[in-house]
Amino acid sequence: MSSPTFPQVGQDAESDPVQPGILIIGLGNPILGDDGVGWKVAAQVERQLRASNHDAIRGIDHEAVQVEYLSLGGLSLMENMIGFDKVVLIDSITTGNHPRGSILRFNLEDLPRNVYGHLSSAHDASLQNALAVGRGLGAKLPEQTRIVAVEIQPTYDFSEDLSSEVAAAIPAAAEAVFEVLEEISSTLSEG
Amino acid sequence: MQKISIDPITRLEGHGKIDIFLDADGNVANTYFQIPELRGFERFCVGRPVEEMPLLTNRICGVCPEAHHMAAAKAADAVYKVDPPPTAKKLRELLYSGFYFTDHTTHFYALAGPDFVMGPDAPIAQRNILGIIHKVGLEIGGKVIQARKYGHRIVEIIGGRKIHPCTSIPGGLTKGITEEERHEIEEMGRWGIEFAQFSLQLFNDIVLGNKEYVDLILGDIYTHRTYSMGLVDDQNRVNFYDGKVSVVDPEGKRLGKYAPSEYTDWIAERVEPWTYLKFPYLKKVGWKGFVDGVDSGVYFATPLSRLNAADSMATPLAQEQYEKFYETLGGKPVHQRLATHWARLIEVLYAAERIVELATDPEITSPDFRRVPTEIPTEGVAIVEAPRGTLTHHYKTDQRGILTEVNLIVGTTNNYAPISMSIKKAAQSLIKNGAVITEPMLNMVEMAFRAYDPCFGCAAHSLPGQMPLKVTIRDVNGEPVEVLKQHCE
Repeated sequence: MSSPTFPQVGQDAESDPVQPGILIIGLGNPILGDDGVGWKVAAQVERQLRASNHDAIRGIDHEAVQVEYLSLGGLSLMENMIGFDKVVLIDSITTGNHPRGSILRFNLEDLPRNVYGHLSSAHDASLQNALAVGRGLGAKLPEQTRIVAVEIQPTYDFSEDLSSEVAAAIPAAAEAVFEVLEEISSTLSEG
Repeated sequence: MQKISIDPITRLEGHGKIDIFLDADGNVANTYFQIPELRGFERFCVGRPVEEMPLLTNRICGVCPEAHHMAAAKAADAVYKVDPPPTAKKLRELLYSGFYFTDHTTHFYALAGPDFVMGPDAPIAQRNILGIIHKVGLEIGGKVIQARKYGHRIVEIIGGRKIHPCTSIPGGLTKGITEEERHEIEEMGRWGIEFAQFSLQLFNDIVLGNKEYVDLILGDIYTHRTYSMGLVDDQNRVNFYDGKVSVVDPEGKRLGKYAPSEYTDWIAERVEPWTYLKFPYLKKVGWKGFVDGVDSGVYFATPLSRLNAADSMATPLAQEQYEKFYETLGGKPVHQRLATHWARLIEVLYAAERIVELATDPEITSPDFRRVPTEIPTEGVAIVEAPRGTLTHHYKTDQRGILTEVNLIVGTTNNYAPISMSIKKAAQSLIKNGAVITEPMLNMVEMAFRAYDPCFGCAAHSLPGQMPLKVTIRDVNGEPVEVLKQHCE
């Protein structure tokens, strides 16, 4: 193919001077019961962040934080991460090794690529492969992706409601996200 | 009897499981493809206003929300007995063409392509989009990302959001587009035409230029002679957004065409004891089991079947490719299921051409993008072609427009029977006389259903992930004698 030129991936985001440095993504399907817990935790975090009348809450500049709610994986998820310094994913997970409602914290690279959840998508590529593709093409992507996940049982029934165990985990999961935000905010300001 | 389980399937949306049963001689006796069904969507919808459906249904699954948005909007039009103005229909189809362009492109480069570009027997760690980039060059990755970006942008301009559009309502849309937006879409469409041609050339060079692959495509392993289904316009040309559903028999003779409201006269559903998901089949032909032929009601609904069910393509460059396709593969209809990947690329080209056609239509920027419904709502059916098959939405409401009944037949469900048949045939062809089961052999079984681009995200539970594949071979006593794994820790 001759004529089309390919703009640098992510140049739109990089050219935006007010781009926040930290992206929080609530992942999941909001009408599929516990599968949607990531959205609910993200909403709780956003409420607490926005409720602050101060410039900073717990050392976190809330204007530097953007919150998104997505039902995506793979390439689509990677594309939404372009331009950010740090990303925190909030998701449901089924390890089968923890009681329902347990909160797990880890880094993306700690995760085996076959993990169940929304972090990869069988329909296009795993998030890890998608990030490798994006970086290979010169997109600005976060060096580190932190994950806060809530253990769920696989859900097969449509519902806007969470199980009581998973609903009860929301405050602690939101607290875990704030702890992660504190950690990465300190490294941001150092950087 | 030995049992081989493939659970779940790599690179397939949703959680599937394949069981392959061997006989005492080590040949395939039978295969079962099982999918746990998502429950309760109808119950979830009943009691809500019908105009919420375009927003609700596109949350069923993250893979093709645009298809559900369109089907739901059209069904809500039908419930309110309102015919949207031409500009509204054109804007919806324009959005939908942008979605198709992105979705099909992603399937080819991330799912189907690796089997051909890297080869079906390449190590699994290389059979992905990264492998393609390493082999074909970095530029290809940039093009794929750009194609996705443009498709998302078109959806965003018309649909109000990048992924889950929200502007279609009964009678039309909540907003139109400006001249600047129209121009932007036209430019993206023109780029898309070149990209689609580039992709077809790549397919031509890498797949059609390789005798081994051509033999694989044309061979018996991946061939099934079933009925073909696809939406066509009033000139029997492929259309994704509107028209009647055309059904042609395995010889290419048209059985007939049905309007959305007639779908219950045409489609029935078969229940089998080993799976929760039902098998749709052609009512007029009847269920004869998982068999090919003109007397079997099994049909398929994919890019390949859409080409078979139509007389031609509605755009000139896609029509050229359509003619080349049938000339190369020996006339209509084509039954070799791996040819679906080629058909899908022809649809990418059609989608791009349609984007330009619609973006240059004089009516597209008209402010007449909604007709306010005035009738009392009752019942409505709508059909669009989702990328992975004919999608039917059927709603009934009370006189306030509150839903009392909802029925969906989603794209992939149409293909449940033919996918099951393709898995069995591939397994029977590849696993013989107790030979050791190898990873490439299993991938070639998987290729049988990957052609259908199956997505059980809305037909069943969506657990997206590059899933582990575990194969357990059991002896006649049911004891495992060998376990093969990929994507397993």
